[in-house]
Amino acid sequence: MKMIITVLAFLVITTTQAQTNYEKGMTKAFEFWKNQKTDEAANLFERIAKAEKENWLPYYCAAQVHIVKTFNSKDGKEILSRLEQAQNYLNEAKTFSKNNAEITIMEAMLNSAYVIYDGQAYGMTHSPKVEALYQKAKAIEPENPRAILYHAEWQMGAAKFWGKDPKAFCPEIEKAILYFEKESSDIPFYPQWGKDQIARVQKNCQ
Amino acid sequence: MRSLLSTILVFTTAFFYAQTKISGNIKDASGIPIAGANVYLDGTYDGSSSNDTGAFIFYTEETEQQTLIISFLSFENFTLTADVATMKALEIKLREDVNSLGSVMLNAGSFAAGDNSEASVLKPLDIVTTAGAAGDYIGAFQTLPGTSTVAEDGRLFVRGGDADEANVYIDGLRVFQPYNATANNIPTRGRFSPFLFKGTTFSTGGYSAEYGDALSSVLLLNTIDQPDQEKTEFQVINVGLGMGNTQKWKNNSLSINAFYSNLKPYQEIISQRVDWIKPFESLSGEAVYRHQFKNGLLKVYGGLNYTNFQLIQEDINTPEGFNFELTNRNLYMNASYKGDLGNDWSINTGASIANDDSDIIISETDVDDMDNSVHLKVKVRKRFSNRFKLSFGVEQFLGDFTEDVDSPDFETFHTSYQNNSTATFAESSIFFNKKLAMKIGVRGTHNQLLESTKIAPRVSLAYKTSETSQVSFAYGDFYQTPQQEILKYTTLLDPKKSSHYLFNYLFQHKGRTLRAEAYYKKYDQLVKYNTSMPMFDSDYMSSGDGYATGLDLYWRDNTSIKNLEYWTSYSYLDTERDYQNFTESATPNFATAHNISFVSKYWIKDWKSMVGATYNFASGRPYDDPNTTTFMDKKTKAYQALNMNWAYLISPQKVLFFSVSNVLGTDNIFNYQYANTPNATGNFDRQTIRPAADRFFIVGFFWTISDDKTDNQLDNL
Repeated sequence: MKMIITVLAFLVITTTQAQTNYEKGMTKAFEFWKNQKTDEAANLFERIAKAEKENWLPYYCAAQVHIVKTFNSKDGKEILSRLEQAQNYLNEAKTFSKNNAEITIMEAMLNSAYVIYDGQAYGMTHSPKVEALYQKAKAIEPENPRAILYHAEWQMGAAKFWGKDPKAFCPEIEKAILYFEKESSDIPFYPQWGKDQIARVQKNCQ
Repeated sequence: MRSLLSTILVFTTAFFYAQTKISGNIKDASGIPIAGANVYLDGTYDGSSSNDTGAFIFYTEETEQQTLIISFLSFENFTLTADVATMKALEIKLREDVNSLGSVMLNAGSFAAGDNSEASVLKPLDIVTTAGAAGDYIGAFQTLPGTSTVAEDGRLFVRGGDADEANVYIDGLRVFQPYNATANNIPTRGRFSPFLFKGTTFSTGGYSAEYGDALSSVLLLNTIDQPDQEKTEFQVINVGLGMGNTQKWKNNSLSINAFYSNLKPYQEIISQRVDWIKPFESLSGEAVYRHQFKNGLLKVYGGLNYTNFQLIQEDINTPEGFNFELTNRNLYMNASYKGDLGNDWSINTGASIANDDSDIIISETDVDDMDNSVHLKVKVRKRFSNRFKLSFGVEQFLGDFTEDVDSPDFETFHTSYQNNSTATFAESSIFFNKKLAMKIGVRGTHNQLLESTKIAPRVSLAYKTSETSQVSFAYGDFYQTPQQEILKYTTLLDPKKSSHYLFNYLFQHKGRTLRAEAYYKKYDQLVKYNTSMPMFDSDYMSSGDGYATGLDLYWRDNTSIKNLEYWTSYSYLDTERDYQNFTESATPNFATAHNISFVSKYWIKDWKSMVGATYNFASGRPYDDPNTTTFMDKKTKAYQALNMNWAYLISPQKVLFFSVSNVLGTDNIFNYQYANTPNATGNFDRQTIRPAADRFFIVGFFWTISDDKTDNQLDNL
């Protein structure tokens, strides 16, 4: 009996320990990111991903850190190596979670990062991928606010290029706002970002 | 009981929190500290990032043997398995990842066009958006240095080599008849639709041991692995109609396209110098099927092409000319598989077959040619590390050619031969570091028809001289079996041989590229014969030789002027050869000393238009004037052509396209044909060999239907 209790207690302690390690780690990584310590954030997400083995979220976050970083960089070498690394992380994430709308959205953002970096070189090859990925994400989760918002932004860019009215996609933003409000998840650290970008995308509607 | 439990709890927790400090310092090979590297114990949460001085410290509750991993972008992972207690004040040197960006490239002799913007000199679009190329994938390569403008032929002439010295491969497998069948002095086009291909490599010399049977050059085309989306495309052009469709399923995809062209309506409007009896008509269809396996990809390509035309071929010796009629049917199939065998082994294997049937009627003579060819190949590759890779393989070529000639002047004349050969190759690439790399290979070929066995070494070396520049060197020996027109009369010959020496300088910085390559090429065992053209009763010998030397320059700038892309090529070529029926060593008619191409593309946003212009210049072509005693000492006037195109996007998926070649209507002369016998005054008369028409116009409408509603065919124009 004693033995059983000891073993049970031991198990409880180690499992709760593991839980907190994950939560502590993720919280700390997000903190690093918030404080502009991008590389430390990406490194920590990578460490968590490696330790967790079968969790797609830390890989997803590590990819996101690298992708977002490229939007503020002008250094071609840095951009390309970060995007390459991000793709590796997303590939890992995909092995643990198939048909995941969030990973698909992140992959669409990764492909749009290539187009933003050098449209001449990557526009023709990567633009159709971006479009296809957003459509796939919406097919998996029709009410995903990030898929709706960022797809609308992408389509607005295309409409502007063709001299068409980007306002045609404004109702999509309204839809995204609605779904952002409804959004909730039981999974800790589940992606919830994007709400703060509504105002920026909405500028196209004025 | 309770106290015991708490004691155990305290004990175990304390045990878990017994911490060990792990510390060290990370530098690169030259001793510069690396900041931001990820340092951790494998399988644990314990780790840290290195700081600005490369130092790291972290604590762990783990004990005994653990694996420390250090990872950083563009560097190889460092691993250390040891007792954590010993992981103190570690001095770690990270090795650069030689596969990362900014590494030296083994690129002597080759031009890559693909997505990888660093190694690529051309972008995928350039293959098809070059003015004057008119959707022919060969056309864009003719604007690269190292090629000679031979506009009446249409094929690739590389560095003093004739068009037969360049071979084309699709997915690593030989294409036996890459060009449409045509008549003398009527330019041909590539047989394949450009939009089935993605990455392309054009090598103007010193290429890999994987490829053989080409003295000068190889053009490597790769079909698309996985199409992005389903789509349907229509093409309506003033010279033809086409359509294509792509379907995707879970692990399969299929692309098909068909094109019918007929030049009759066009030639009724635009006058031609050639007397066409039946203008050029062709029907072609292609299909690519792809299947994704768990660890590999299967691609099956099939193309069928039917061409016919009839014209009067002018000839100075026959005032009424020759009535020349051609009907050609070509079937080409290619199946390739690339897969991962595990443990860093991979395999590329496949087969291609071609069946080519030509029926030619020249005046009263009927020539029926049947050519069947097969290529089988298997290549395996082992990646020992990022720094050392080895590939080797074996391939078999089978060729069966028969020709029947019927003429009222003589009995049916039948010739046939089987051209079979076996080759093996091995090649390894070695990256000593991010700056220095070497590729060394060897190829052995046994040709059963010629009963010859040849060993050809290939070496290339590259050294990165700075962040933006590198130099490279390549050497190689190349053998090629003589061409069909010779083999059908004799097989008592040696393979032709060439040796290449290349020296390359490459500068790349912020969208600007300068590439300079100097070369020397030596030819041996070229075929000689003693008649005006190869005949069944000619004497043949493998005693010809020659050389080609020159300098190729390429400059491209995508950034200096917004929305403008341009590149310019200059090639200097000095070549002489003693081959065919030459009386002495001389520069052949196709070789021009100076070649210049200037290609530009300008995107006009407000007009939604891509406007392109290409200017080609080639210095005079040598020809022989029998009225003088010196052989091949005359030169035609220089060749010039300004080509323009304009693609207008009516809507995202509808494109209107116009193109005009030789806008200025420059009167170009390629060569002269002299009479076999002198006229009454003792002079040899001549006739000029010129293009069939000075200009060529294309007007087309291209419409794409796809789910994303943005894809269009701009990239195929």
